Amino acid sequence: MFYLVTGGSGSGKSAYAEELILRLRAGCGDGDLYYIATMDPVGGETMRKIEAHRRMRAGKGFQTIECRTGLAECAREHCRKGSFALVECLSNLTANELYREDGAKEGTHDAILRGMEALLSVCRTVVAVTNDVSRELPGDSREMLRFQRVFGQINASMARMADCVTEVVYGIPVEVKG
Amino acid sequence: MKMVIGGAFQGKLKWAKERYPGVEWLDGRTCRPEEIFSCRGICSFHEYIRRLLVREGGKEAASKLAGDLISRNPEIIIITDEIGCGLVPIDPFDRMYRETVGRICTKLAGFSVRVDRIIMGVGAAIKETEE
Repeated sequence: MFYLVTGGSGSGKSAYAEELILRLRAGCGDGDLYYIATMDPVGGETMRKIEAHRRMRAGKGFQTIECRTGLAECAREHCRKGSFALVECLSNLTANELYREDGAKEGTHDAILRGMEALLSVCRTVVAVTNDVSRELPGDSREMLRFQRVFGQINASMARMADCVTEVVYGIPVEVKG
Repeated sequence: MKMVIGGAFQGKLKWAKERYPGVEWLDGRTCRPEEIFSCRGICSFHEYIRRLLVREGGKEAASKLAGDLISRNPEIIIITDEIGCGLVPIDPFDRMYRETVGRICTKLAGFSVRVDRIIMGVGAAIKETEE
């Protein structure tokens, strides 16, 4: 099963996604539990964010897998059959694939799509956190426009694959696709 | 506590005036900080938070705001823009502001008995509990 969780900044989507995967796993008995971390630890603000997320999931049984780019390889190398994976988050993964040296660049959409397919082929359940950056004009920045376009296409492809899509609005789950 | 949320210029205040007649609405863009604890309703709550954040000691005040509102004005009706659904702002203050609004509103929505989301003037209850 594939659950996609979206929401704005500070909306509580991470907390919701974490509770969701823990609940789903508890309902199934066992299986490895992975936290696939995509954030590139550069700069103080990002480090503080990573720390806050680490604190939030401490002691809950997650094995952290660092994945900046190449979700497909990551899934094949690190994930066991029948496991549970929380991917956080697709916007970082998209930015990494677009801008990092080892990223897929023009092939970002396909790389992430293949990555998710690979992950779903080994894991029993995947919860992926994404976000919504679409409700604003990108101004004069061509780069922002490009990111918005690529990321929008990725989100649409993910939602098509997903069994369930939920938007978290100030902590309240709103069903997008049941 | 009740909340009315949505994008900018979606008719949230108009909707709220019909739904909650007789309420005098404080304006988060112009009110004094203390007034929020005695009013029945506030509009532009996100602007109230922004004005709080630019003041000396504003970050700390903002971190306590949700808890203070819950204890000091638990019946308040809050109208706010959902400002967290755009591109990540380049300016660090804007990033902090937008996340702070999200965190505060998440806490308040958790406490609220009712949350309505307004799109193009049309409201939909996304949270409704027995009153």
